[in-house]
Amino acid sequence: MDAGRFVELYASEAREHLGLLSRSVLALESPTAPEEAVGEAFRAAHTLKGVAAAMGHDRVAELAHAIEDRLDDLRSGRLQVAPELVDTLLAAVDTLEEAVEASFHPSAPVAEAPVRARVHLHPETPLKGARATLIAMNLRRRGLITGTHPETFDDAFDGIFHLVLAPGTDPGVLETAVLAGGDVESVAWSEAGTAPNVPAAHLAGPHVRVDPRRLDALAEGISELTVLHARSVATFNGQQSAGDRTAMILAELQDEVLRLRMQPVSVVFDRLPRAVRDAARAAGKSVRLTLEGNDIELDRAILDDLGDLLLHLVRNAVDHGIESPAARMAAGKPAQGELVVRAERERTSVRITVREDGRGIPRGRIAEHAARLGVIGPASGEVLTDEDLLRILTQPGFSTAERVTELSGRGVGLDAVAGRVRTLGGALLLRTEEGQGTSFIMRLPVTLALVHALRVRVAGEDYAIPLTHVAEAVEIQDVHVSAVAGRETVRVRDDMLPLIRMRHVLGLRDPGHESAAVVAEIGERRAALAVDELISREQILIKSFDPARGALPIFSGATLLADGRPALVLDPLSVV
Amino acid sequence: MPRTVLICDDALFMRTMLSDILEQAGFEVVGQAETGSEAVRKYRELKPSLVTMDIIMPDMGGIDAVREIVKEYPEANILMCSAMGQQALVIEAIQAGARDFVVKPFQPSRVLEAVQRVLG
Repeated sequence: MDAGRFVELYASEAREHLGLLSRSVLALESPTAPEEAVGEAFRAAHTLKGVAAAMGHDRVAELAHAIEDRLDDLRSGRLQVAPELVDTLLAAVDTLEEAVEASFHPSAPVAEAPVRARVHLHPETPLKGARATLIAMNLRRRGLITGTHPETFDDAFDGIFHLVLAPGTDPGVLETAVLAGGDVESVAWSEAGTAPNVPAAHLAGPHVRVDPRRLDALAEGISELTVLHARSVATFNGQQSAGDRTAMILAELQDEVLRLRMQPVSVVFDRLPRAVRDAARAAGKSVRLTLEGNDIELDRAILDDLGDLLLHLVRNAVDHGIESPAARMAAGKPAQGELVVRAERERTSVRITVREDGRGIPRGRIAEHAARLGVIGPASGEVLTDEDLLRILTQPGFSTAERVTELSGRGVGLDAVAGRVRTLGGALLLRTEEGQGTSFIMRLPVTLALVHALRVRVAGEDYAIPLTHVAEAVEIQDVHVSAVAGRETVRVRDDMLPLIRMRHVLGLRDPGHESAAVVAEIGERRAALAVDELISREQILIKSFDPARGALPIFSGATLLADGRPALVLDPLSVV
Repeated sequence: MPRTVLICDDALFMRTMLSDILEQAGFEVVGQAETGSEAVRKYRELKPSLVTMDIIMPDMGGIDAVREIVKEYPEANILMCSAMGQQALVIEAIQAGARDFVVKPFQPSRVLEAVQRVLG
């Protein structure tokens, strides 16, 4: 077996099943379908055991087997789900995870292991057959052997029997286990026969591990090609049809590569249930975690940071935001605290909210402490706004001051969180209400977001309007335009909407012929943006840019359109 | 908290002997039973750390008692007590859920070794 080739496959399989095992074990405590969770966990542990054994990683196989046994007990009803059992299982999964990670760096090649062991019981052993049966049963249960010779022990049994080792069993571990069985005189190893028939690691599974830097290189290459192509189309005008096809393929390629870098936030959200559970148990609190927007996608690089940020905010929420069950009930709240982590797409950013219904941040006391520490000016008697509060909490000096006790918990590390969010080009927001709860909101720009957009033409130039705030696009004729109180309006279906001529917004004086309008919708406000032409609907990659000085503040970025032409991306919010 | 033990055997002599051995080792004998059904009843009541169970007893034998107890309490630590020549029965008891066995006449050291293996 070429171990090298299989190491990568093993790694990806192992991680996948470990993740599944982890999630299923946590799901054991959920009120819905815990039986399914047991089955899933069992299968995950079982598969992991097989894969690890095939690679000769016996510690991993052993640990997986032990977990599998416990899960089997649960499956058959021999054990019931209880918090202590789940604690034990989670701790075992942690150990398993360590062992799995360690197994990715094999220190020595897997040695040829002997297949059989010969056991001698003490000559004076009473009921030798019963003793051998007991020993064999325990070894089998631990997954160390697959059989014995003889298979059963009758009255004529003389006390000498053979064990058939399970693949991947460590001889030392087996010997210790046998000796612990009682009445054993010796354990000897028969010579190594043919190597165990180790099944090759199965190649099933649709996943491939890729170095993200390769994707970057690929993406850059394709972008360059696209630009070059656009230029060559311009030069060789006759080649229209072939050029279009090439442009299409290039655009598709670009899409695909960029999509490879995107992952759903569930990748990061998945870590949260465990973290919340651990934090809640440690703090003696009862917390229900709800995750929303699991499918929202973000660039991998941003997800890495997001994971840490979320862990921090979530622990903060459990430790300092949510009160103890007793305190909550005294305040008329349900004993169980609510913690919601939610991802939403906004036009060019992703909004991640961590919201709890805890005690809220005590504005007055924070203001006092801050004043005393000289963080802000002396208390002016004005109530602090949420923005002020956040600014105080994220001051490094504030969070590490010793005087502030239970309040400092809230601030600890917030400066780091705010700093990291800013580095990513985003913003951290706070909303809090004393007695009702607190929300921390991270708005992260998604510079590599693939966005659906409408391509429109105004005065010969193409622009992209992201569809996130577009209700619809319609053809208009001058007949439909009227004036109400000096402002142009247009009837779209049954609505009279304010009409905004993009030509005017772009600062063009000469009148044009607008044949279409894009109905933009921001919250409750709707308006019709009149453009010369609707060209197409495309998926674009918005790149943020530093607008030139004096540029109109109505663009959220730039992009390359499908045919390779660059276009500015309009921000409907700034126009309506 | 001392470890507790329930001793099940239909012979008073055997129960007394085991009692002595286990008490000397620090166990608290919290109950005794003379039949299989009494053993099951008392287990439910006392939930001891350890049970010693004789194989042959009137009114539900030791093996059936093991089966009943383990069905309700899979975590039960049962040590089977057998006479010589009962190998097949002991194997049956092990398969029914007993964790280890000792053979009469009892040697205190062997009994305690077996108890050690059972309780881990």
